[in-house]
Amino acid sequence: MTQFLAVSNRKGGVGKSTISVMLAHAAAAWGRQRVLLMDLDTQCNASLMLLGGDGWEKACRAGRTIADYFYDRFDKSADDESHYVINNVGDIAHARTAPGRVSVLPGSQQLEDIQAELYLKQAKKDLHADAIAVQVRGRMKRLMKHFGMDCDLVILDCPPGLSFAAQAALDLADRVLVPFRPDFVSQFALDRVALLIERVETTEQLASIALAQRRYSCLPNYLTGAGHERLLIDQLALDHPLLRTRMPVLDSIQRAFDWDECKKSMDQKYADALPYLRRLHGEVFAVMQPSARSA
Amino acid sequence: MRKPTILSGASQHAYFRRLLKAYPSLSAAERDRVLERLRGEIAQLRLRRAADRPPAVAPPPTVPTTPGRPNPERPSRRRQAAALPSAEPATAAPAAGFDPFSPNIVVVVRQAGRAAALAALATIDSEQDLRLLAHEQRLSLNGQLSSLAELRAAIVAAAERRIANRRAAAR
Repeated sequence: MTQFLAVSNRKGGVGKSTISVMLAHAAAAWGRQRVLLMDLDTQCNASLMLLGGDGWEKACRAGRTIADYFYDRFDKSADDESHYVINNVGDIAHARTAPGRVSVLPGSQQLEDIQAELYLKQAKKDLHADAIAVQVRGRMKRLMKHFGMDCDLVILDCPPGLSFAAQAALDLADRVLVPFRPDFVSQFALDRVALLIERVETTEQLASIALAQRRYSCLPNYLTGAGHERLLIDQLALDHPLLRTRMPVLDSIQRAFDWDECKKSMDQKYADALPYLRRLHGEVFAVMQPSARSA
Repeated sequence: MRKPTILSGASQHAYFRRLLKAYPSLSAAERDRVLERLRGEIAQLRLRRAADRPPAVAPPPTVPTTPGRPNPERPSRRRQAAALPSAEPATAAPAAGFDPFSPNIVVVVRQAGRAAALAALATIDSEQDLRLLAHEQRLSLNGQLSSLAELRAAIVAAAERRIANRRAAAR
């Protein structure tokens, strides 16, 4: 059964795209899964990491992006979604006989404009504003779900903020991974995104859901080892489920996202970040297994 | 006593490989899996230890800062770099002395309440250490505080304000 993993945080610059791409590589290489990365972020960083600038630009010119897909298919049946997907992307070499591969539904800078157009299109039907938003989100969710047909795992790389696409992704996801930087404002961002993911309105309602029952897990990212990080992580662990994996700031992670046409092994690409990625992959997919559900 | 050797990278890998050869029942693939797992576990352990370690250099005593003047107690980039997590072994021994990050006052107030936090702070009997703890834990102290008891109460009050602040933002 296809699983949907959203990587989300309303705050920007926390490493959502980086973690999404790393997990896509890990799931394909080590989990032997057919992975689709759906790039919902208008910065398109994940697409650039997997396709390079030229590849992404070609996808845009050919109308093979998520914005094109939503626009083309919003009012129609979405039966030919494979046209929008680019297979065997990224610079990790997978054995020919292994089933694992990474595909991408490229992101687009037009996605925000397209969402506004879809909203206006629905608005012509003379509905209340909230009802229109619910309809747009619902339709986007159904369109995203179509991509589950031909893969084992769909990673939804969400944008910062709360677009319709981000909300639809959170609705659809079986699990949500929330990377965060351990700084002062991150705690507010986690509190807010947790309310959305658990579909509750107050922190009291959120607190009534046991940490083990939550649909999301938080990942401390970009750690430098400073004492303030420890303080904040301990404080956040009172209210949110935290993964045991902690991702440090490493040059090898920064370098891994330079686009490179040469295929390489996971060892070559991730170097000293490899043990952290192995641990992250093991932990994320261990928590995903028992919670698998049809969205 | 002989100083223990800290292994990392290739030397650590070779050491474990030699060690695992003592178990002939393990296949090469199983050995590789165990090695990989050990590598990951050790890297995580080093990261956690680095995060838990107090600053390598004892920070100078706290003095109120004036705008535009460098804050002597703010950890320098160099000092923070000394605490960077790394897959390499930690060579510097943890500095003995006061750890301004412990106890985590916000966590104590949340979990055990005001009285417990005051009791935890009662074990610190230096004004400099209390001020340093407040500074490093971002607990701002208001007003003239002349006694240790006032200082401790102000720290706990600041932690309570911080908790309320976060609750308000989540509404």
